[in-house]
Amino acid sequence: MEGIVLALFVCLLLALITKYLSVPAIPFYILAGVLLGKAGLGLVTSDVISRFFSEMGLIFLLFFMGLGLKPERIAANRSAVLTSGIIDLNVNMIIGFVAAYLLGFSIIESLIVASAFYISSTAMAITSLIENRKLMLREAETVIWLMVFEDLILIIFLAIISAGNQNLIVFLVKILGVLAVLYALAHYGKEFLISILDRDDELPILFTFAAVLTTASFSMYLGVPETMMVIALGVAFATTDPDAFEQHARPFKDVFLVVFFVFFGVTIDFSGGINWYMITIICLLAIVSKLISGILTGIFIHGSVQSGLEIWGNTIGRGEFSIAIAVLYGSPIVGTTIAAMVIVTSIIGSFTAKYSTSLRRGIMHFGRKKSPLHRVHLGR
Amino acid sequence: MSAMSLRSLNLPGVGTKYEFETDKGDTVAIFFTKTGTIQMYTLQKDCHTPSAAEMTPVEARRLGNILTGAIIEADQESVEIAFSALADLRVTIHSFLIPKAIAGRTIEDLQIRAKTGATVIAVCRHDRNIVNPPPAFVFETGDAALVIGESDQIRMFEREIMVE
Repeated sequence: MEGIVLALFVCLLLALITKYLSVPAIPFYILAGVLLGKAGLGLVTSDVISRFFSEMGLIFLLFFMGLGLKPERIAANRSAVLTSGIIDLNVNMIIGFVAAYLLGFSIIESLIVASAFYISSTAMAITSLIENRKLMLREAETVIWLMVFEDLILIIFLAIISAGNQNLIVFLVKILGVLAVLYALAHYGKEFLISILDRDDELPILFTFAAVLTTASFSMYLGVPETMMVIALGVAFATTDPDAFEQHARPFKDVFLVVFFVFFGVTIDFSGGINWYMITIICLLAIVSKLISGILTGIFIHGSVQSGLEIWGNTIGRGEFSIAIAVLYGSPIVGTTIAAMVIVTSIIGSFTAKYSTSLRRGIMHFGRKKSPLHRVHLGR
Repeated sequence: MSAMSLRSLNLPGVGTKYEFETDKGDTVAIFFTKTGTIQMYTLQKDCHTPSAAEMTPVEARRLGNILTGAIIEADQESVEIAFSALADLRVTIHSFLIPKAIAGRTIEDLQIRAKTGATVIAVCRHDRNIVNPPPAFVFETGDAALVIGESDQIRMFEREIMVE
């Protein structure tokens, strides 16, 4: 118990500092965990309580993601979402997978590394667009829809990989069954749900917490993983009053997710040795492959390489979902690799997001400088 | 009005965006973000980098008042409300800081209604509001009076009463 208190206190300080400097907090929570835990000072060890809190963090993160997914909205923006989404998926999944496989990971491990490698942090991308006042840029909308597409792919990935030994079709039918039941509950119980959410007392928050936990606990009986259950719940509840659910679930998500990140750091184990060579390559490629997909998206959607740089600058950071993948499916060595990638890309990403406008201006300036020289040369 | 097409858009995870292009080709975009702040961007025609301002809801309302035609000075603030259904009735509400010259005098004694046609509807004194002050109400220095009337009557109030 003292361990959690110490970890939370350190995270509180880190949150204050990172908010003041407006840099993402996630990499520092993980680093704090590494320093306090097994690989570092050994002051904090994971126990039953911290594991329960971490699990809550993951469940609420995915519930939130489900709430934000509105299938009808995606359908309305299909073409824009699809083009950028497919470029991003192919480029990063392929580079991530090939790199991991060549570095000696097994096929399954390489898939897991590739997924964590592919998925940018939605939280970091959106915070950066708001804080750096980039919402009006035409690339901002592309980035926002890219994040929605990535979330969808993550759900499909989670579904496939968590099917395990089950027949995939039976498994998918089960998930669709759960989704249909939850949709029906949300649809027929809509007025009841809204009347609960409108109250001023403890009921809305208690109901939200209980609904998420109850749904997660049903996974045991249905053979559908908790992750899928809570995402489905989020998607179903999004048809009633998603803003109210977000408001009531936010305190749980915010607190438990911090525990989730810091204890992910705590459980990182360097006893198997760290392959710095491998980690460096993955981190470098993580930045380069988003550059390639960003530039391709910029060219295809906005007809401009500079737009591609802007998209790149805001999507470098990997974060919450990469860690979720590592926690759910990663072996220790996969976990360490993903942790290093998240820390490096999110810190670099926060700088590229802040300075992408000056970067673009610099490139334009450079281009302008070059052209007169070029002309002089031609004149001769 | 018809030339201005307002586009509103719900951005997942971000909030709501309102955007319109002016007749002259400039673009204004407003974002109500989920963090509770309001960001306003303006993009001049043929320009590539917008400029942005981030506001709290209170600041945004203040900006809204200015844009609807109200005058806001350091301590004085005024709002004009137009009722298009009532033959385009326009009413102005203006706040005035009571000067030393009229401290100690009453509303009746200043003949505010008779001289200007405007009405004092509220007085703010030491962070307390007195709504609908009676004719015998005595002004003190430091009071802020809220006066309602047509814009001519408000101007008259400023000229006739405030300088006494």
